[in-house]
Amino acid sequence: MSINERDVGKKDASFEREPARRVFAAELRECRYQFKEGDDEKSPTFVLLPTGERSNRIYLVGTLTEKQRQGEQNLFYRGRVVDPTGTFFVMAGSYQPEAMQQIAKIETPAFVAVVGKPNIYQKDPASSPLVSVRIESINVVDKETRDLWMLDAAARTLDRIDAFARGEGKDVVTAKEQYPTLNPAVFKKMAYDALAQIKI
Amino acid sequence: MYEMDYSENAERISRKFSQKGQTVDKKKIENKLRRLVDEFGVLPSEAERSVTNDLAKEFNIPTLGTSSGSGPGSATEQKKIADAAPGDWVTIEGKVVSLSTPASPTIAQSGILADESGAIRFIVWTKSNAPAMTEGSWYRIESAVVDEYKGIPSLKVHSGTTMKELGTTDPLIPVPVQIKDLHIGIGSVRAKVVQEWEPTHDRMLQSGLLSDETGTIRFVIWKEPGKEQLEVGSVYSAFYALVDEYNGRLSLNLTTATVMQEEGDIPTISGGEVAIHGAIVHIAPGSGIIKRCPVEGCNRALSRQNYCPIHEIQPNFVYDLRIKGWLDDGEKTHNILIQRGVVESLTSITLDAAKEIAENNPLGMDEVFLRMRDILLGRYVVCRGREIENRLMVNSCERLTFDSGEHAALLNRAGGAS
Repeated sequence: MSINERDVGKKDASFEREPARRVFAAELRECRYQFKEGDDEKSPTFVLLPTGERSNRIYLVGTLTEKQRQGEQNLFYRGRVVDPTGTFFVMAGSYQPEAMQQIAKIETPAFVAVVGKPNIYQKDPASSPLVSVRIESINVVDKETRDLWMLDAAARTLDRIDAFARGEGKDVVTAKEQYPTLNPAVFKKMAYDALAQIKI
Repeated sequence: MYEMDYSENAERISRKFSQKGQTVDKKKIENKLRRLVDEFGVLPSEAERSVTNDLAKEFNIPTLGTSSGSGPGSATEQKKIADAAPGDWVTIEGKVVSLSTPASPTIAQSGILADESGAIRFIVWTKSNAPAMTEGSWYRIESAVVDEYKGIPSLKVHSGTTMKELGTTDPLIPVPVQIKDLHIGIGSVRAKVVQEWEPTHDRMLQSGLLSDETGTIRFVIWKEPGKEQLEVGSVYSAFYALVDEYNGRLSLNLTTATVMQEEGDIPTISGGEVAIHGAIVHIAPGSGIIKRCPVEGCNRALSRQNYCPIHEIQPNFVYDLRIKGWLDDGEKTHNILIQRGVVESLTSITLDAAKEIAENNPLGMDEVFLRMRDILLGRYVVCRGREIENRLMVNSCERLTFDSGEHAALLNRAGGAS
């Protein structure tokens, strides 16, 4: 089959999109440090994972257990997506109309795949920070996709733990500074427990 | 303020032209020089050169013009082709390696002239009354001028140029360069045809992608008598091809090149397909069922109003399927382009079924987009294809399935000593 050159496009393909990291809920929940590289308004914001990798975007698959429509003038949706290790707090506002339409249609509970941007929020200085995920897209998927994600998330988490132990990667040093009390080994046990829950 | 005296410079210029039988107005020359130097801050020597060149052009006496960079009054230099830069007046000895059909009656001959250092396009103006050159012969061309068209240097033979055939029969073997070393102008390569694309113009015989182990480059062959299409998967040597720019990338025009099919195979950068395992994290607008312009060789995607940017409203459009999106393996996100056949097998929606949906649904074509998005978004797939300019041209794509062996291996890895 020949390729249509009209579809090949111009140089726009050289744009580098931030990859979506695979992270379990129990690890994402521990994030406390976010940073920006560059002063440009458009430079991406990263959340630093405790296992020592930056994340501007994540991809997760779990069970949407609850969703709530909130706000009148500024309509938005909140939802809880659960994996075997914990809960992801997801939200879609009027700046993500496609994501809002998608989540509005979904009946809970359902396996969903979510692509979104993690953010650390703190309501007031007294309360503890909350990591939430601003949805770019959310879609109902099957159990096999959920199981595939578990393998993927476990493999990536173990890769990060290994890299951390070897001291590799530009963000490992920062992670050691920012999360001095966290031992990445706990995430290894977390990954094991998650994998053990997959029933074939 | 100190007023510079330009009479001496003007006198010098005037003398040059009177030797050629032309009378010039010294006062006018002085004024021109003064303007350049006083108003525009041009150095006096440069002003003199500039005025001389202007007059030389006016009287059509090219030998009096001087090349930039050389001092006033210097003669044209004998140069190797590789050293001839736009703006130079040059004397070159070279071999006519190819002749092409002139694009206009004002051009008597056009083609490519080569020596051991390189090659350059040339044009012989009809007005020059130069004798016709023959392909394969060597010539000494005196006082020709190098200019550029779209960044490509070109040697112009005009009425002030003298030309004589040399007796030499030097075979002159062109040396192919690697694709990564090609630059705008003329180039020779040895490369493999790795892709063929649908023609986008009815005068286009073929376009596609050439590759060697250092890179890839688009090629095009325009329809001309005797031109033949290249075979995908075959290796060719292309001598004296025109290297220009298309859509911001280098492109090789083989229409006037000498192209020879080679025996055997060569390694190419995109020789092997890559297989990327990952999740589809985005389906871009313009995916699903689309309408294409029916004009032969056009094939552009039409807007909702059936509007082609070139051929305007096209009510007799042709339907097609494609998916544009992002495939993410957790480390890198790959821009993917999936063609109709693969879209059909991946989504189980055929082009006919998609047409049916588009024509009988209140949302029309959007309904096809939404259905395909819901089938593919967030799913794990393996896409195989060639990566070109950061985009994966997908030749096959399948859903991933759960592998219990991988599961067991990961349990071992996570449960091992920490």
